[in-house]
Amino acid sequence: MTESRSCDAVLTAAFPSIVQKDVVQRECSHFLISKDLLPAITRYLHTQAGLHGRLTLLWAVDNRPAHNTYGLHYLFTLEPSRRWVLLSTELAGNDRLFPSITPHIHAAQWYEREIRDLFGLIPQGHPDLRRLVRHEHWPKGTHPLKKDFPWDHVLGRQQGEHHFRRIEGEGVFEVPVGPIHAGIIEPGHFRFSVAGEPIMQLELHHFWTHRGVEKLFEQHTLIAAVPLAERVSGDTTIGHSLAYCQAIESLLHLEVPRRGRYLRSLFLELERLHNHLGDVGAICNDTAYALPHAHCSRMKEQIMQLNDRLTGSRFLRGVNRVGGVAIDLTAAQLAEIVAEMDRIEQDFSELESIIAHNASLIDRLETTGVLTERTAWDHAVVGVVGRASGLDQDLRRDRPFAAYDELPVKVVNYRYGDVRARMRVRMDEIHESIRLVREIRLKIPQGPVAVEPSCVAQAGEWALSAVEGWRGEILYMVMAGENGTIHRCKVRDPSYANWPAIQQAVLGNIIPDFPLINKSFSLSYAGNDL
Amino acid sequence: MFRILKKSLKTGVVTGQHPAAAPPEEISTSEAKDKARPFLSSLAFRAVDTGSCNACEMEMNALANPVYDIERFGIHIAASPRHADALVVTGPVTVNMERALKDVYQQTPDPKIVIALGDCAINCGVFKGSYAVTGPVEKHIPVDLRIPGCPPRPAEILKALQELRTGTGSNTD
Repeated sequence: MTESRSCDAVLTAAFPSIVQKDVVQRECSHFLISKDLLPAITRYLHTQAGLHGRLTLLWAVDNRPAHNTYGLHYLFTLEPSRRWVLLSTELAGNDRLFPSITPHIHAAQWYEREIRDLFGLIPQGHPDLRRLVRHEHWPKGTHPLKKDFPWDHVLGRQQGEHHFRRIEGEGVFEVPVGPIHAGIIEPGHFRFSVAGEPIMQLELHHFWTHRGVEKLFEQHTLIAAVPLAERVSGDTTIGHSLAYCQAIESLLHLEVPRRGRYLRSLFLELERLHNHLGDVGAICNDTAYALPHAHCSRMKEQIMQLNDRLTGSRFLRGVNRVGGVAIDLTAAQLAEIVAEMDRIEQDFSELESIIAHNASLIDRLETTGVLTERTAWDHAVVGVVGRASGLDQDLRRDRPFAAYDELPVKVVNYRYGDVRARMRVRMDEIHESIRLVREIRLKIPQGPVAVEPSCVAQAGEWALSAVEGWRGEILYMVMAGENGTIHRCKVRDPSYANWPAIQQAVLGNIIPDFPLINKSFSLSYAGNDL
Repeated sequence: MFRILKKSLKTGVVTGQHPAAAPPEEISTSEAKDKARPFLSSLAFRAVDTGSCNACEMEMNALANPVYDIERFGIHIAASPRHADALVVTGPVTVNMERALKDVYQQTPDPKIVIALGDCAINCGVFKGSYAVTGPVEKHIPVDLRIPGCPPRPAEILKALQELRTGTGSNTD
């Protein structure tokens, strides 16, 4: 507590004009600032020793219907104390300009371009103002997240072409890849510039699967949007629905029963397990080592069949609901899960020793696709990728949710930032997840698994929620509208934070190693594009 | 070496170890069956994601795992639409992917079949009506077979494909 007070005191001492607000959110300080102060304060937060703020989320809200303003909100995580600092500023309804913080804080680059595309607000001083979400064929002046833009209006096409950054010179050529790839992968475009074998530059052109998820949320009521959250990124069904439900529960002041919280942790770990197993296999497969891939996909299938038996859905859909979980498990089912975990742990350990003894595989993975700790920090990388590059962060330990306050998690950390480190993080987390599932079975209390929502949220109230999904931190900001509707729902999948970093990790590597590096990041396109 | 051998012997054959699928919800039309006749013993499909949440992709990838092992039915996944007999399209067609879907359809040689996989490809699912979604797959290219589900289980996909090609759907174990 003294530490948190000192952070706030340091900030208010450095910038006397800022106004501190009370927040219900735990471990969070909230300041109102004027927009001219934005670059100075954010830079101070980011670089000041002892504060070391990582830009966690940046979002805009269109408040024009009621207040004739736009709200801009900057959320930082202070690394030493893991405390959140939220900076808010307002733009008058006819003011379309705000100062860009990207020149000092690299991680803001996509957020600010996204705000320009979806709200029409212009980050002044942003070094790259090309379109991001709305590809060039979207008509000018159309900004879908503005409140006066109809949610179901499909626009016509205009002429337009995306301009990639070009490297020119003798022997330099470009390799375009996508949007439709060779494997069963989601759509995205990668543009490589190479001279000979090594990659000189990679530029991403994403957002092909932009479905307007954030606008769709605004068409739902707070209680009814859980199925949509489950489908933001299908492989993270539990992670996203849990983050969404938690945000609604803090809006409605619901206390989820302890048994419900334990079950949420259990299902989150099952989701982590089947995805990590799939990724370890797929990394091996991308070096043309098919044997671990076959074994891993077999184990992954076992867990998905277990999910199906337990809940009727291989992806655990319909499990989370506002107030708790929709499914209770019997003691026999918990025993079945643990028995399956025992089998998989034995099975996977045998496979691990096969993988570790394959010198040619390890040689291929080591020093490939290195993301240094500094670059990872500058891009505010999260999750598995961050933990493989020396960033010691895991929300299960840093901001415990579900039942993690009673289930201490051993956070895996490697420093080398190469493909092998990212694979090792996943392998270690598989063991840790299995251990957690066992611990959950021992500790899970009896009782109800859900509570019924009783009160309603006031229009304009908002809540933030964070969940460590299998990829990394999933963030939701939900703001209530009139009569239990959603005024704004900001979704941040970990992929959104991690995608830009891949452009740095591939530099100097050869194109044939790109699929391997990409797989070791294992990012979602759907969760990124929304 | 011995480690690998021991592991393989210990694991044994896992193919077919999955719960039986319910019969396909939608029986393929005789027209679609006629179109599928050339691909009775070999079918190469190209997956096209036009905006899915990636659950359908995960289930398609599962088809290639040792449990479902789709290649034993002569079905394989082509790396390019130009090598494909069938397009399997997932997801509602987003504004940004509309052009790419039409291109990929043009690039696929005739005769070809188009399979809409999952609720989103059939009726846009939860994304129906959004400003960024132009409509289901059949609005843009002709669809021969629909496999509903959110997402359909791998065993159901197998069964629907077998039903299309052989008319029975019974020989998937």
